[in-house]
Amino acid sequence: MNATQYPIIRLLGEDSILVEFEAKVNWEVNTQVRRLLNALESQNIEAYKMALPSYRSLLIYFDPDKTSDELMLSRIHAAITESQLQDDPEARLFRLPTVYGGDHGPDVDRLAESSGITAEEVIQLSANLKLPIYFLGFICSQAYMGDIPIELQTPRHASPRPLVPGGSFGFGGPQANILAVDSPSGLNYVGRTFVKVFNPDNFPPTAFRPGDYVQCYAVDEKTALETGAYPMEEFIEPF
Amino acid sequence: MLKYALAACGAMDQTSVRLINSLLGNQPTAAVLEITLIGLTMKALDSGQVAVGGADLGLKINGQPAPRWTIHGVKEGDVVGFTKLNQGVRAYLGVAGGFDAPEILGSRSVYLRGSLGRPLKQGDEIGALAQTGNYAHTGKKLPQRFIPNLDMTRPFRVLPGPQYDYFSPKGIDIFSTAVYTVSPVSDRQGIRTDGQPVERIKGPDIITDPTPIGAIQVPGSGLPILLHRDAQVTGGYAKIALLCRADMDRAGQLCPGDKIRFQFVDRQTALSMLNEHEGLLAAAQKALAP
Repeated sequence: MNATQYPIIRLLGEDSILVEFEAKVNWEVNTQVRRLLNALESQNIEAYKMALPSYRSLLIYFDPDKTSDELMLSRIHAAITESQLQDDPEARLFRLPTVYGGDHGPDVDRLAESSGITAEEVIQLSANLKLPIYFLGFICSQAYMGDIPIELQTPRHASPRPLVPGGSFGFGGPQANILAVDSPSGLNYVGRTFVKVFNPDNFPPTAFRPGDYVQCYAVDEKTALETGAYPMEEFIEPF
Repeated sequence: MLKYALAACGAMDQTSVRLINSLLGNQPTAAVLEITLIGLTMKALDSGQVAVGGADLGLKINGQPAPRWTIHGVKEGDVVGFTKLNQGVRAYLGVAGGFDAPEILGSRSVYLRGSLGRPLKQGDEIGALAQTGNYAHTGKKLPQRFIPNLDMTRPFRVLPGPQYDYFSPKGIDIFSTAVYTVSPVSDRQGIRTDGQPVERIKGPDIITDPTPIGAIQVPGSGLPILLHRDAQVTGGYAKIALLCRADMDRAGQLCPGDKIRFQFVDRQTALSMLNEHEGLLAAAQKALAP
């Protein structure tokens, strides 16, 4: 049996093309997705409308009235070739003050129990992580992060909590996220930042970009609440 | 907005909104009210012109039945009500000039899951923007041939989805022949169905990937969910099909209990259907121009 050749490129629906790289959650695979998006956006393709990256695939919308399928597919092939030569935009680090445990991190004990470590160790591990953002997805610019150490990998709750506050930071299996807005969620939440990572009064509504890194460092509740008044751009450092 | 993971949002039945705005002489982007199911009563605080399209929700003005797709003049104290679920679930009420609703990220749409805006509640007052350009005249009607056909017994046409090959030939056969019942837990995010589960070879979980608007995902239950205007932009379930664009707005009028069927078509057919649909909307716009 022949191994699958990636990327797989195909027309989807009336007006989109899906490009799929290797089927795994892996930073090198995701880097190809992000590079392709950058290459496409720098090419001024008239029929190109917008694209959405995810872990291993890129969904590209185009206007079928302005191009032919063949031409659009050839433009995407050219962008893939070019994307392999591109430099990545400079990664930035968001250091977000975060309050851990208690009501703000209701799953610290659950993670500690499942890994046989102490609650303090869970918090210390979480607060030291610098996690890469793979893409913004789900709703409202929610950052999907990965590369979680095994001690913090625990399955999601069997039934999701009906409402977890925006800013909550948690883990589910090999994924991590910071909730953009109050949402139902089944992840294991360890802390919460009060920095608004999604602000619909601004454009763009978030400063996160795929390829950036996030560290949720530990502070006390008072500091976390005070720092919540500052825009998220104030917390950017070079990576 | 897609790259910031914001749902498409907007009216579930875009066709009806475009027609109501054409009728009223409004900009195509003018804000209208989406009225889901019955019970709403509104009182005019000033004189003006209103028109209602989309679902037939038993429109009454001052207690008298009033036709849809017609411009009605209202004066202070007049009462507009929606009294009976006749066909479809979402009526659109437009006013000359469009409603003056706050813009968030360049849109006047409410997006509940993202806490962007809120539904109207009892006691709210909402104004109209001044109309520019062509004025509407009371009594004007949308010609019958442009009124959308909300017959849900016509199949919903689909194209293969990104994980079409996750389903067995038997599963594909079930999906394209079974009759599904629209579930009461449907909302602006997804239209859920009850019926015969679709058989899979792989999945249901996949590595989270983009969920295009109109995608039909099949979670562990095997029961298809059609993702509509407020759907999340990425998700982790296999997607068997994509609803053809030309059928999206009719799907936006599905009512719990409706019986529906899916039918695969080829992409050329889907594109012709879309061109025909757009052509009809353009013809309506032309016919309604003063």
